[in-house]
Amino acid sequence: MTGQRTTGLLVGLGNRDRGDDAVGPMVAVLVAERLNALRDSAQRDGGDVPLVRVVEQEDPAALLDLWAEVDLAVVVDAVRAGRAPGHILVLRTGAAADPLPAEPWAAAGRQGTHALGLACAVELSRALGRLPPQLAIVGVEAEGFALGAELSPPVARAVPAAAGTAWALLTESGDHPAPSCPAL
Amino acid sequence: MTKRFTGGSHLLEVDTLARVEGEGAMRVVILDGQVTLVELRIFEPPRFFEAFLRGRAWTEPPDITARICGICPVAYQMSSCVAIEDACGVTVPDEIRQIRRLLYCGEIIESHALHIYLLHAPDFLGYAGGIEMAADHKPVVQRGLRLKQTGNALMTLVGGRAVHPVNVRLGGFYRLPTRAQLAAMRPALVRGRDDALATVELVAGFDFPEMEQSYEYLALRGTDGYPLESGSKVATSGSTFPVAEFGEHITEEHVARSNALHGRMEGDQPYVVGPLARYTLCSDQLSPLAQEAARAAGLGSECRNPFRSIIVRAVELVYAFDEALRIIDTWEGASAPAVDVPARAGEGHGVTEAPRGLLYHRYRIDADGAILDACIVPPTAQNQASIEADLRAFVQSRLDLPREELTRQCEQAIRNYDPCISCATHFLDLYVDGT
Repeated sequence: MTGQRTTGLLVGLGNRDRGDDAVGPMVAVLVAERLNALRDSAQRDGGDVPLVRVVEQEDPAALLDLWAEVDLAVVVDAVRAGRAPGHILVLRTGAAADPLPAEPWAAAGRQGTHALGLACAVELSRALGRLPPQLAIVGVEAEGFALGAELSPPVARAVPAAAGTAWALLTESGDHPAPSCPAL
Repeated sequence: MTKRFTGGSHLLEVDTLARVEGEGAMRVVILDGQVTLVELRIFEPPRFFEAFLRGRAWTEPPDITARICGICPVAYQMSSCVAIEDACGVTVPDEIRQIRRLLYCGEIIESHALHIYLLHAPDFLGYAGGIEMAADHKPVVQRGLRLKQTGNALMTLVGGRAVHPVNVRLGGFYRLPTRAQLAAMRPALVRGRDDALATVELVAGFDFPEMEQSYEYLALRGTDGYPLESGSKVATSGSTFPVAEFGEHITEEHVARSNALHGRMEGDQPYVVGPLARYTLCSDQLSPLAQEAARAAGLGSECRNPFRSIIVRAVELVYAFDEALRIIDTWEGASAPAVDVPARAGEGHGVTEAPRGLLYHRYRIDADGAILDACIVPPTAQNQASIEADLRAFVQSRLDLPREELTRQCEQAIRNYDPCISCATHFLDLYVDGT
């Protein structure tokens, strides 16, 4: 924790070596590239660059510290929600919102096993007062998580769209209330 | 959680155990005031690690077996390194062994902090889980997270990352930390040691059900200091035997209700590995500060009440910080990050102490380094029989409790072991009938 709030945080959650679990890190790469291009352009021609930190992370427990001092966090993760592989879900929550629903994709790891899940990180942060005012979770429906596998074709095709969704969430202007989830 | 009453019998059943790693269930049948059946059912699918290690190169098990567990990968890396180095006739220099020990301290800190604060303390304080407890005990949970964070930082510095370290190789490491990097960890470790002492004080104040385990304890005796990354003798309360004789004393058997093999000592005896065994057999190897913390918490030289394992874990937390600081203060660097481990035909054995207990690896390799045979005996598999024995004794003496409360306490009794079901199901023989 730095003690200083930054505007936005993008976390690509997942393991690059576990098939579709790599979708979070892959989206983080695209968002970071877009930010770098904007920075180059701003240096050359002027213009604004969103103040966003981009992080790849495998361990959801690290989110407790990562997002403790930010106003807006967007987390991209592979999910199993019973949709077609590559389908993109967005769930908006935040410090003032209701607890996450007990749907399977929002509840994974919530029981608190040795590896805390994303939902557990959200609710533990909420209890500890560390949840950002605005948090959006971009879930990409996964097909498989085999060790050493690459992204499945439908999930690979969804990466640019997921990055676009994350970018829109990070850069949309003005405050918006954090509605009860799921928002979409 | 379910509770059923069928005629004169009672069935306590938990369909999916919470706050344990992996997927398991518990079933206890009480008939006419007698506990007639206790089953810890582990239905997490088998993972066949030993089978797919066959044919792989002798250099690969540290990375492959680390994937068995996300919370104790260092234990798998260390036991596999020690076993293969044993097969190849290599002993790593002390300056490398010390850094292995430092990495192991990071894992103990990570694992114990998580279990004490988020998985086990809620049982004693009357909460459904860590999230609910955090709402009422914010500073306590924040201390637990701070402890875990320090463990993560130590793992990242020495192992390359906090989960599934990438810096471990046969013979040592790919890269060693500098003394300056280690010194920079010191303030966080000093604070962590204070937090660990406060943890001992906290958990020592919990209420503990009376219970004494009569079965045998099994732990590694450390080379120097409390057992972690190395040791040549395995101890029971009455004797010791060389690590290489592990298979002569410990056997594994398959039971239908579990995808993890049950460990048995000397043929048919249940036994316990883990913090209670380590403490009872090796408390003399703890640092003076950890011994003092144990005494202040009311522990004698041994502890056989499984519910008090949370105190022992807290004492081990103090030791892990104390030991990490000792290593950082005394390590003078190494001439190389690793020594060569050339392949040769042979068999090797490795035992280290994972957070949940003794972890045994055995490998047989050929002259080119191909693995011919592998055997991995993880702690939770060894503890299954004693968990069931605990439940049998525990339930029998508490039949007057309301069934729901008794079921809750049974779950707590299982969590005394911090079971890691994902680790335990690494192995199952697959028999296929065919023509």
